[in-house]
Amino acid sequence: MKLTSKLLQIDPKPTQRKIISFIKDYVDKTKAKGIVLGVSGGVDSAATAALSTIALGRKKVLALYMPEKETYKKADHKIVKLLADQFRFNLKHVDLTNTLKTLYNTIPDYSPENKLSRGNLKARTRMLIWYYYANNQNLIVAGSSDKSETMIGYYTKWGDAAADIAPIMDLYKTQVRQLALHLNIPPTIVKKPSTPALWPNQTAEKEIGLKYEKLDLILYGLEHFMGTKEIAKQLNLTIKTVTTIKKRWLQTEHKRKMPLTTKLEYRTVNADFRFARTTEIEQE
Amino acid sequence: MKEKLKVALAQFPCKIGNKQHNINKIVKHTKQAKKQKTDIIIFPEMSLTGYTLLDLTYELAEETPGPSTEKITKLAQKENIYIVFGMPERSEKGKAILYNTAVLTGPEGYIGKYRKMHLPTHSVFEEKRYFRLGYQTPIFETNLGKLGITICYDIFFPEITRTLRLQGAKFIICISASPAVRKQFFETLTAARAIENTCFLAYVNLVGIENGLQFWGGSRLIGPNGHIITQSKYDKEDLSFGNVDYDDLRPVEAFVPTLRDLRPELYISLKEFSEKL
Repeated sequence: MKLTSKLLQIDPKPTQRKIISFIKDYVDKTKAKGIVLGVSGGVDSAATAALSTIALGRKKVLALYMPEKETYKKADHKIVKLLADQFRFNLKHVDLTNTLKTLYNTIPDYSPENKLSRGNLKARTRMLIWYYYANNQNLIVAGSSDKSETMIGYYTKWGDAAADIAPIMDLYKTQVRQLALHLNIPPTIVKKPSTPALWPNQTAEKEIGLKYEKLDLILYGLEHFMGTKEIAKQLNLTIKTVTTIKKRWLQTEHKRKMPLTTKLEYRTVNADFRFARTTEIEQE
Repeated sequence: MKEKLKVALAQFPCKIGNKQHNINKIVKHTKQAKKQKTDIIIFPEMSLTGYTLLDLTYELAEETPGPSTEKITKLAQKENIYIVFGMPERSEKGKAILYNTAVLTGPEGYIGKYRKMHLPTHSVFEEKRYFRLGYQTPIFETNLGKLGITICYDIFFPEITRTLRLQGAKFIICISASPAVRKQFFETLTAARAIENTCFLAYVNLVGIENGLQFWGGSRLIGPNGHIITQSKYDKEDLSFGNVDYDDLRPVEAFVPTLRDLRPELYISLKEFSEKL
């Protein structure tokens, strides 16, 4: 297999159709009233919001924009408003600045210098608000995680990836961008550098150390059982670079699973209890 | 025996684990098909229960014949029509001896069953975890001629349709639960099985979404020359009709005489080499 960008090209029309059917089917089967999701101004959440709106209609989609002082950017705010005007979904602005301040002051051993644990608090606080609305209004939480970030575990455990469904999780970032353009999401959003917004000036590509165009091809190769040496050779990268990505993929499996337990009894949750998400058994 | 048959292909989304709902769908489509003077109606793999049962397989599997087969047999007798549908079968010899089974029932009552021989246990499929392999390739002598049945992944193994054809089945049925990314495989292979055996082949696939898997429908009746006689909608519930005329076999058999040209000695080496794979 020759690793070129051609492999990552999607046919956006059927992709859109399948994702829309999936969202609609899940909301129908769970008898929910719609979707709630976080929007940041990035391409992933923009695509998820657009797809949800096309699937369910604008009245059934609630998008929450949740900035906080440290990472707030006026440009993001403008983009989110633009997107809401274009797709006409419901948009609520929830400022988390004071909530986070309270959290920092509440934790006895809070250490502001630990960027990661402080940043993760932000992602998890956003999740709390999504689920408040989900419970309160009988909504399904749609996550905006893409395949690139999910595979390498580039997200906050029980934070930004915590959701009931993840409509674009089987698309790499470069594929989400193609779909976003097909959805008529403005190119400024599509081209905008991705950021988890955990601290100021954080960008995904800078942290990962690779452009998504390269990362996605590495992951595509790994997905298709290619060896690290072969991937490195084809993409003109060092074996160390590809191995680092492979390690990130394998070592973050804990983030993608329910908690591990040790088997003690006949059938065990998350091990050999196996059911589909939406069964519709008859009442006995 | 009838030489000309009207065939109905019925694809519908199942409710996972809700037999009554799914039987109601079978009844509705059968009645509709009968109004069109159909001889046989075919439903997808596991259409009694839905495909993605996982652990529910243990509690939903039934003996065959059993309660659900009897209900559908009564329907077949009342409507004077042959019905093929799929279900999880439990052996009378053990509570956890289960099969992925296709049932044939008709105006004369319960006729027989086919137990899936190739159980996919790769990618998103876990069939060997729950089911035992089938070991027989029966053909069913009916008023519609000799019928052969296969299930889904069996179509990847030309030996099954060949065995059925060599026993005299000129009309072979493949019921299926194929998710979207495999459409191209099935569309190619179903046509190939019809052409290489000079037989009619009805392929009936599930539709709907189960546990993230989107079944694509696209059921089709294929003639012995690979011609698509009728094609159902993709991704949507549908009932489509096509005709089988056994007289159409003759010119195709003379044009591409694959059965005449078979080389039985190859089967001996095929067995030998496949055992050493």
